[in-house]
Amino acid sequence: MIAASVLVAPILIVVFRSFTTGRLGVSVGFNIEGYLRVFSDPQILSMLNNSLVYAAGSAALGTGLGAMLAWIVARTNTPGKTLVELMPLYPILMPPIMKNIAWILLLAPKSGVLNSFLRESWGIEAHVFNAFSMGAMIWVFGLACVPLGYLFLLPVFLSFDPSLEESAYIAGSRPMHTMSRITFPLAIPAFLSAFVLNFLRGLRSFETPVLQGSPGGIHVFVAKVYDAMSVDFNPGLATAYSSVLIFLSIVSLLFYIRATRFSERYATITGKGYRVKIIDIGKWKYVTFVAVFAYFLVGIVIPFVVLIVVSLIPYYDYETFMKFPANIDLSNYVRVLNHPSFLSGLYNSLTLSVLIALITVLTGIIMAFTIYRTKVFGSKVFEVVGTMPLAFPPLVLSLGLVIAIIGTPLYNTLWGLGIGLFVAYFPYALRNASGAIVNIHKELDEAAWVHGARWRHVFFKVTLPLLRPTVAGALFYIFIESLRNVDVAVLLVAPGTEYGPVTLFEYFRVGQWAEAAAGGVIYLIILVVAVSVAKLAFNIKFTL
Amino acid sequence: MSRRIMSVIGLLAVSAVLAAGGVGFAASAAEDVYNKTTSALYEKAKQEGALVIYSVWDVEHLVKITEAFSKRFPGIKTSYWQGRNPEIITRVMTEFQAGQGSVDSILSDNAPPVLRAAGAIMPYETVQKEFLILHDPTMPVVSLQIQALAYNTKKLKPADLPKDWEGVTNPKYKGNVALDDPMRAGPLSTQLAALKALWKDDARFARFVKGLKALGVPVHKSTSAMFRLVISGEYAIAMPALLHDVMSEKEKGTPLDLVKTVPPIVFARNAAVYAKAPHPNAAKLLGEWLISPEGQAALDSVGREASRKGFPSKTSIDSAFGPGTKAIGVQDKLFLEDPKKWLDTNVKPLWEG
Repeated sequence: MIAASVLVAPILIVVFRSFTTGRLGVSVGFNIEGYLRVFSDPQILSMLNNSLVYAAGSAALGTGLGAMLAWIVARTNTPGKTLVELMPLYPILMPPIMKNIAWILLLAPKSGVLNSFLRESWGIEAHVFNAFSMGAMIWVFGLACVPLGYLFLLPVFLSFDPSLEESAYIAGSRPMHTMSRITFPLAIPAFLSAFVLNFLRGLRSFETPVLQGSPGGIHVFVAKVYDAMSVDFNPGLATAYSSVLIFLSIVSLLFYIRATRFSERYATITGKGYRVKIIDIGKWKYVTFVAVFAYFLVGIVIPFVVLIVVSLIPYYDYETFMKFPANIDLSNYVRVLNHPSFLSGLYNSLTLSVLIALITVLTGIIMAFTIYRTKVFGSKVFEVVGTMPLAFPPLVLSLGLVIAIIGTPLYNTLWGLGIGLFVAYFPYALRNASGAIVNIHKELDEAAWVHGARWRHVFFKVTLPLLRPTVAGALFYIFIESLRNVDVAVLLVAPGTEYGPVTLFEYFRVGQWAEAAAGGVIYLIILVVAVSVAKLAFNIKFTL
Repeated sequence: MSRRIMSVIGLLAVSAVLAAGGVGFAASAAEDVYNKTTSALYEKAKQEGALVIYSVWDVEHLVKITEAFSKRFPGIKTSYWQGRNPEIITRVMTEFQAGQGSVDSILSDNAPPVLRAAGAIMPYETVQKEFLILHDPTMPVVSLQIQALAYNTKKLKPADLPKDWEGVTNPKYKGNVALDDPMRAGPLSTQLAALKALWKDDARFARFVKGLKALGVPVHKSTSAMFRLVISGEYAIAMPALLHDVMSEKEKGTPLDLVKTVPPIVFARNAAVYAKAPHPNAAKLLGEWLISPEGQAALDSVGREASRKGFPSKTSIDSAFGPGTKAIGVQDKLFLEDPKKWLDTNVKPLWEG
């Protein structure tokens, strides 16, 4: 209830604002003028169509690829086990905007590395690749959606009762057939959880549409929300536009709830003892290795290499790019490392991100447990409430948060910022935990109830230990995401408080791509080293 | 005859000496006013003890500027928060409505006029107004946003360049122009507001907007990303670019230059005092100091354009475009305070019609 209240307060505030008109600072009456403007806007249908294609395409690509990688890592005898486990993790560390910039530099029609190479080396004048097309938008944002799919699906495949698959083998089914008919259908709740989240992220995402859509004449719906805020300065209108996103969020959630309504069907962790079985996929294991490696290449290596080169040359054009390393220039790194709050800002953000990840994930599990394992009246409402923050574009949500805490001692403190990050990332924790709890058969809880256990014993002694793989994945994801959050945090950062992401990603925000690339490279190296050390030296299993 | 010539020369010499003395006297009088004002403000600011700035400027710039300010005026603790214009407007207005006295000075371009229209700015007129290229009687203009037409020197030869802003609409540039979205509160809409006021000719303005539309090029919502695409060679012309970006790229050897025949568009960057500022004297002191030669030098050191007439700077209009270049100012009140309304009235029917 406490978590729900924290989530509901900013939401109610922005919903209330949607029934007011007038710009910021103007006293206005309570009316539906904003909604009338929204629903009489002739542009929204075409923009909504673009948004739906873009969000659904990216979510399908990202979640599908993530599920495939999770299955390969968890269930197959693909060679190079440690490497295969690590390769899908690294791309998670790369912020989506870095991927945007790298892929624009690679795929731009006239000046991109690939088209220029084809033109200069092969005489192909046609623009084979186009960074400013719907396909490229889906490709880039889809890649950014893979981590969520991977982290949501991996625990499911790792906690899979193999008896169902064994039955299929006994009946003569081949591994690939078993995978498509038995394994993947049982992972539907987690898959849909990740798909719904990625879909909603796509609907409200703004960076890819701004950087890649606008130059190609592709305009998405969320641009209306941003225009209402940045041209109209009218949060009421922005929220009225957001109501379309809220409606789509509710529809996708209802779809999810309906698709998983017979949750027992998807329970893969039951009262019977089992051991996860690694499937021998024969010669296909080399194909799966190549698949993981290919994702590793496009997910991080290629964009990372492009950004490293861009960060080390005076400016990007194809001619200068190809002269590398003869024209190496370290000035961007000198500038970033001398940034006044580059190092000091990291302390606050690291501390806060660890705390937020822990609190958010634990609260998400408690709420999912309440929804699926208790009979608390109206608990299903939490399912919608808990996911709702994702329907609001960050600036709108951030405004609701500011209004909610302004005038309280929390305003302009790290605590206020922490609450903002909690609200922003709670949907991920809830959806992650919901997908995982559905996979745990109720008979385990029931056995504990029968033996007189109270709910807290059931939760801490039965459910939570079984959710350990899920907890690890969600912690990792939310930690990484909140470590680089700028959009929600920006209004909540107090003057004089150095907060890592805001300063680190400032170069991206002001469009200094070379400095941004240098900052991004340093940031990525720190995270990659930390993840590798933790994984290899201390044998910490982020997802297993 | 020679005596008459001699007396004329003598008179001229005396006049010149008197004029020089007069100018010197005037300058020194203005300096006195500045010194007296800042001394009085400093005394009060020291008692206030702090200064909180919200700004759209880069953090690196803010750090250097506040360090120079603190060195000149010790005893005033400075802190800042950096955000984009919509974020600044949202934050300040929310705090204003809640009666929160959290910020003192707002260093920005688009945000202050909008905030002023909502009553969130405390009017303050600088005592150095006669030195300013653009003057606003309610908010000190400490720097300028100067727009220029920039081009990629690898993609276009000087002979092929447009001669003025309207020249960009020539169909031969189709596919080569990176065009900012004229329907958002960005550089191109600012330019349109300046040109409309300058031309005072609706037919000419309509031809210009429709000419841009007829280029059939997609519009960009991120000026900085658009600028990068011009540097990379994706486009040949940036419509428009910001002077300080162009000059800083030229220093790095980027193949970029200005079209010097196209007159620059200038837009004020203010140091506005927040209506409920807890440290209003410190905010006024910052505004005055930024306009002074010392403050302008601090701005110039980070590549920000000077607002002071004749200030020697690499980003000044004189040094970038040549001495005597006449700039076009943006002073349309409706555009400054309610860009959406101005765009809906003046541009939307032409652009979307």
